[in-house]
Amino acid sequence: MSFLFSEVPSTSSVRRQKVRDFLQSVDLEMSEDVEIFVVAKEDDRIVACGGLSGKVLKNIAIDESVRGEGLALSLMSELLKVAFREGRHDLFLFTKPDYEEVFESCGFKYIEQANHQVILMENSYNIDLYKKRLRKYKHSGDVVGSIVMNCNPFTLGHRYLVEQACANSHWVHLFVVKEDASFFTFKDRYRLICEGLEDLENLTIHEGSDYIISKATFPTYFIKDKRQIDSLYTELDLNIFRNHLAPQLGITHRFVGVEPLCAVTNEYNQQMKKLLTRPSEFPPIEVVELGRIEYGGEPISASRVRKLMQQNRLEEIIPLVPPVTYALIEKMMSKEEVK
Amino acid sequence: MSKKLETAHAGTLESSDAFVRVIPMDEKGIVIELESSVEEIYGDAIRALILETAKAMNVDGIKLLVQDKGALDYVIKARVQTAILRASGDVKPDWSVLS
Repeated sequence: MSFLFSEVPSTSSVRRQKVRDFLQSVDLEMSEDVEIFVVAKEDDRIVACGGLSGKVLKNIAIDESVRGEGLALSLMSELLKVAFREGRHDLFLFTKPDYEEVFESCGFKYIEQANHQVILMENSYNIDLYKKRLRKYKHSGDVVGSIVMNCNPFTLGHRYLVEQACANSHWVHLFVVKEDASFFTFKDRYRLICEGLEDLENLTIHEGSDYIISKATFPTYFIKDKRQIDSLYTELDLNIFRNHLAPQLGITHRFVGVEPLCAVTNEYNQQMKKLLTRPSEFPPIEVVELGRIEYGGEPISASRVRKLMQQNRLEEIIPLVPPVTYALIEKMMSKEEVK
Repeated sequence: MSKKLETAHAGTLESSDAFVRVIPMDEKGIVIELESSVEEIYGDAIRALILETAKAMNVDGIKLLVQDKGALDYVIKARVQTAILRASGDVKPDWSVLS
């Protein structure tokens, strides 16, 4: 049996619709963020496909009628070729636990699982290097705290949370979400955090990575129920945190801000309490929810700052953020006006 | 061959072929990670072949990730050589070394 392989770029909407139809026929939802699909055809009929989205391989599916003919390996060869050509060498993929072996034979290694429903694999084995690197920053103590923050942008609310964590811990590790999917770039967010927290002595600020709240670790397609997608994703993320990252640094606590407004984030916090403390071979991590500070009767938050930026009410931002953040916002807004 | 290497690959994952990836490392040495469908019987021999092939091409500081699907010796050798040539951007290889 011979199959014809071709590429479907995101600009080709007619052929993309055919991919969508094919995926639907095998009960998968097409992930809209896929940039390039590799498609295998037999007699002009799609029988297999796989997509590349950033550094994640997605929507890999093979029609039942052609399974067992080694098509999976041909498809993966083509897909890897495309990914490498695009300069994406360190790749991730999500799959069901049943398919672990197939992808293992393509050079992928198991990282972590969630709820026995989804596993995350990677072909670079970078997680081992990352863990080794983290170990260098280990500080011992009875209370070693951790915080994961996006800071879009860094506000006095964030600063308060970190201050509280530092006051209650021997050492604190702060991870800055690395994904550039926010209004403020990672570079800016990271700089503001470093400058805004310069005076805290028992704190290490880490650049985030693919292994901590990143796009590369978000399974979106093979579970239909949206609510379950979120809880599987958070479980995966938290399992990686507890089983891989926290042990390297001897982390005993994780600090989060209470979330009165956003239901999804609040649920993430609640799930965190459950997952980080449940019995496992790794030591439990206590979750500490800290109250948010307010200004003018409302909690200080990054979304509030962004909203004020949109409405061009710069004056009102001043009491919400450290001077470094305000300086950047002022600069950004003045550029905006020139445009 | 002492110039800076880049990440490169050669081959496919199909039966009787091998998929070879070259990844430059910061440290010296040649690291081989082999996964083979005939690991039990030929694993050591394949590893030795890969190492010998890489050494003959005078490369250092690389990691070779090889997915072998039961390829014959000369296939594995050719795939390793091609991947290394691509990694070094070498368009005029020294054929006497590659024989």
